[in-house]
Parts: sequence; C-alpha cells; structure tokens
Amino acid sequence: MSQRKSYAVGTGLFIVLGFAALAYLATQTSSVANSHQGSSYTIDAQFANIGALKERAPVKVAGVRVGQVQSITLEPGKDVADVTLSIDKKYNEIPTDSVATIYTSGLLGDQYVGLQFGGAKTYVADGGHIGLTKSSAPLEEMLGKFLGSGGAADAIGGTYSVRADFTNVGTLSVGAPVKMAGVAIGSVASIKADPVKLDATVTLAIDKKYNQIPDDSSVSIFTSGLIGSQYVAIQPGGSPNSLKDGDQLVLTQSAMQLEDLIGKFLVNGSPSGSNSAGGNSSPNTPAGKH
Amino acid sequence: MSAQMPHKSIVLQSLAQIGNCGLFLLRILAAVPSSLRHVRETVRQLWFVGAMSLTIIMTCGLFVGMVLGLQLYHVLAIFGGTSATGSVVALAIYRELGPVVTALLFAGRAGTSITAEIGLMRATDQIAAMEMMAVDPIAYVAAPRFLAGLIAMPLLCCVFCAMGIFGGHLVGVSWLGIDNGTFWSNMTSNVDVWDDIINGVMWKSVAFGAVVSLIAVFQGYTTPPTSEGVAYATTRTVVSSSIAILALDFVLTAFLM
Repeated sequence: MSQRKSYAVGTGLFIVLGFAALAYLATQTSSVANSHQGSSYTIDAQFANIGALKERAPVKVAGVRVGQVQSITLEPGKDVADVTLSIDKKYNEIPTDSVATIYTSGLLGDQYVGLQFGGAKTYVADGGHIGLTKSSAPLEEMLGKFLGSGGAADAIGGTYSVRADFTNVGTLSVGAPVKMAGVAIGSVASIKADPVKLDATVTLAIDKKYNQIPDDSSVSIFTSGLIGSQYVAIQPGGSPNSLKDGDQLVLTQSAMQLEDLIGKFLVNGSPSGSNSAGGNSSPNTPAGKH
Repeated sequence: MSAQMPHKSIVLQSLAQIGNCGLFLLRILAAVPSSLRHVRETVRQLWFVGAMSLTIIMTCGLFVGMVLGLQLYHVLAIFGGTSATGSVVALAIYRELGPVVTALLFAGRAGTSITAEIGLMRATDQIAAMEMMAVDPIAYVAAPRFLAGLIAMPLLCCVFCAMGIFGGHLVGVSWLGIDNGTFWSNMTSNVDVWDDIINGVMWKSVAFGAVVSLIAVFQGYTTPPTSEGVAYATTRTVVSSSIAILALDFVLTAFLM
C-alpha cells in the first residue's frame, strides 16, 4: 500500500516537473517573454515599402522598445501598406508629427519601426494616425547611390536617348553618370567609334522626367575630382525647344588629357613647345588610371 | 504470435512486422477504456518509465546544451554573430535535438525495460496465466505501459529542453563570455511559442512517444518465450525505435514547417 502511494506521489511530482519545464520554456525563452502586452493602444501608419518588416517586430523610440507591429495589410487597389502599431499605454505622449521609419538592426538583422518625435503639442491617441513615414531603403537603391551610376535613372524604359560626338572621350566608360548641375540625370549607354567621321559617338540615356533640356545645350566630359572617373556634364543652353529621343547634341567638348594640360603649360611657359594641344591622341592613360 | 519465418525474405519479414505492429496498436487502443480500470497500474508504469528516466534525460540535456553552445559559438564567431548563440541553441534544441535525442534515450532506457519486462512475463507464462484467468493481458500489461510512455515522453522532452537551455547558457555566458542580456533577448525574439515549442517539442515528442512505446510493447509481447528471444527482442526495440524516430522526425519536420 505505501509503495503504491509513493508511486503516485512520485509520478505526480514528475508530471508537475514536466509541466513546470514546459511553462518555463514557453514563457522565459520564447517571444512571449518579450510582449508583456499589458495594456496598449493602437495607431496606424502607411508605408510605401515595408521591406522585410514582420508582424510583432518591435517599435522603438530612441532605441528602446515601446510596442510592436500588430498587423501589416495591403488593401487591394492601394499601393501603400497599412501598418498597425500597438504601443504600451505608458508611452502615450507621441506627438502627431512624429516620423515612423523602418530601420534594420545591424547589418543582417530584422527590421523594426523607429519613431522620431516631432514638435507638435498634440499627442497621438488610440486609433490615431502617424502621417509622416519613411519606407525601408531597398538594397539596390543604396548600392546605386554608392556606385553613383545614375541612381535615379535606371528604370528600364524610363529613359530617352540622345547622341553626342566627341573628338576624344578620354577614359569615359559605359555606365558613367550624366550630370546636370552636378546631379545625375542619366548614364552613358554606349560609346562607339565612328569610322566615317573618325570621332566617337556617345549615346546618353537620360531619365524621362528631365525632358525639358534645351536642344542647344552643350555637353562636356569632366573628371570628378583630381583623379576621379570621368562623367558627362550637360550645360543647358537657351533654346525654347527641348531634347527629344534620338536628338543629337552638337556642342561638345572633349575630355582633357593629361598630356594636353602639360603641353599647354610647356607651350605657354617656354617657347620650345613639345607636342601640344589637340585631342587627337588616342585615349591612353591620363592620371586617372593606374 | 511469433514472427520467426527464417525462409522468407527480409523485406517481407519487415513488412509483416510493421503490419503486425499496426494491428497491435489497434488492439491496444481498443483496450484503453478497460485499462482505465487499472489506473494505478498506469501510474506505476509512469513512475518507472518516466520519473526513473529523469536522471539520464537531465544529464544528457545538460551536456547536449553545453556542446551546442560551444560548437555554435565557434562557428558563429567566424561571421561575427556570436550574439545569436542563444537563439540558435534554443531553436536547434526545440526543433530537432530535444525531441529526437529524448526519444532515442527513452527508447534505450525505458523502451528496453518495457520489452524485457513483458518478454519475461511471456517467457515465465504470466501472460498465459492471465489469459486463463480471463484478464485481458493487453488491457493489464500492454495498454498501461503504452499510455505511460505516451504521457512521459513530452514531459521528459520539456525537461531535456530546459536543461539544454541551461547548459547552453552555462557555456555561452559563464564560460565564453557572451553578454547575458544579449543571450536572452536574442533568444526570446527568435523563438516562437507556437512554431517552435508547441509544434516542435510537443507534437514531435508525443508522436515519438507513441512510436517508441508501441514498438517496445509490441516487441515484448511478440517475442518467442526464450531467453535468447527476449534478448533479441530488446535489441530490436532499440534498433526499430531509432529508425522509426529518425524517419518520423523527417516526415514531421516537413509537415510541420
């Protein structure tokens, strides 16, 4: 009899231990531990691109978690995502002009929503709306900005072509940016040598939204910095007509070659001019290349 | 109920075994209601099968957690991601190592004892005596042990996982110097209660418990009543259970993920 009792007691203890272990695992080591969803209120925001944001991703202010993403939905017909954030009730002083941005934690980490407070005196209430949002930056856009090859105008079919003839393209390469007022508006699509006219024909692909460039603009090949790569710069003219697809820019200025510059100095500095200006030398290595 | 047919091919023999096992399961399930009259027997079996296995389960859980922490730390250090050690240890244990290693240890410790006990009962004619006394041996002998194994496995698995986490924490934080807060916060943000703990630990361990207990009881019940037969049946329990556990693990992983 007493043996049977000890079996029962021992077995009961074993079962209790098992459930205690399960409870420990579920509450202390899983994501349930994070969301001590006491009382919270919901606000919503709209993003053009949620990137890799997931439900239950944290919402942080100054890096401290204040809530989580409750739901992400896309209404058919709209092209912005509705994201509902559930914020702990104790953080109830979020100004209505705060900016919600999607950040990435670390290099490969998960994405979360960061709130930067604005200066408004009114606070977002339950069911309120944050109007200012910044979407996540897709990897391609950021790489495009770094590589500098016309981060704007890479849309397929979103460009129109314009030609220009140069006597010397220097070290200009396909894909180099086309800039106007220092801002990239397109890229070099192709560079070909013309066998008849014995110069180089460069085709530029310019973003369609810059469609009011006067057709008497001049185009030059400049170098970015002292030893940087070369790019094409368009200096607007004054014509009332705009460039269209397939047009040709007539006023061109070729690339400056190192030898030309040195030659100019030598010619100007001393009468014994060694082979001076003139860009018909083959485009071989100026200071830019190593 | 012997399955010794030395002239049939191995494939047909194995198929016959599997079929007999399935039919045996049906007999056990049919006998479960009447075995509830013998609740004390089930409780006693739960003690022998579950509580007595705690020592090995807890020790092995601790060591598995420690070795996982160590190995994963060194691999993650290559990518500079040692802060993720906690979550990788937890996910590995919850999803795979917890249920599978617990089931293998359970088959080795409890499965063999069940097989040997039932085999000896058959060898010493106790089963025949029960049949003569109109006591259904399946309801009295087989079903309580099957139920005990079925109940004990998930509980043991939870204990194993908890010890594994503790072992991983011991190695990672106390020995290798990962920050304690990072360890836990990384883990809690990556482990999901439903996907990892309920799906991974609970469902898998219940399935494994059913399979191991069934094979153990079946092998014991159908062994030829000789000492050699009992020894052979005990070995077959471990071998068949191990194969079944790992195959079922793959199927369940594919199904649950």
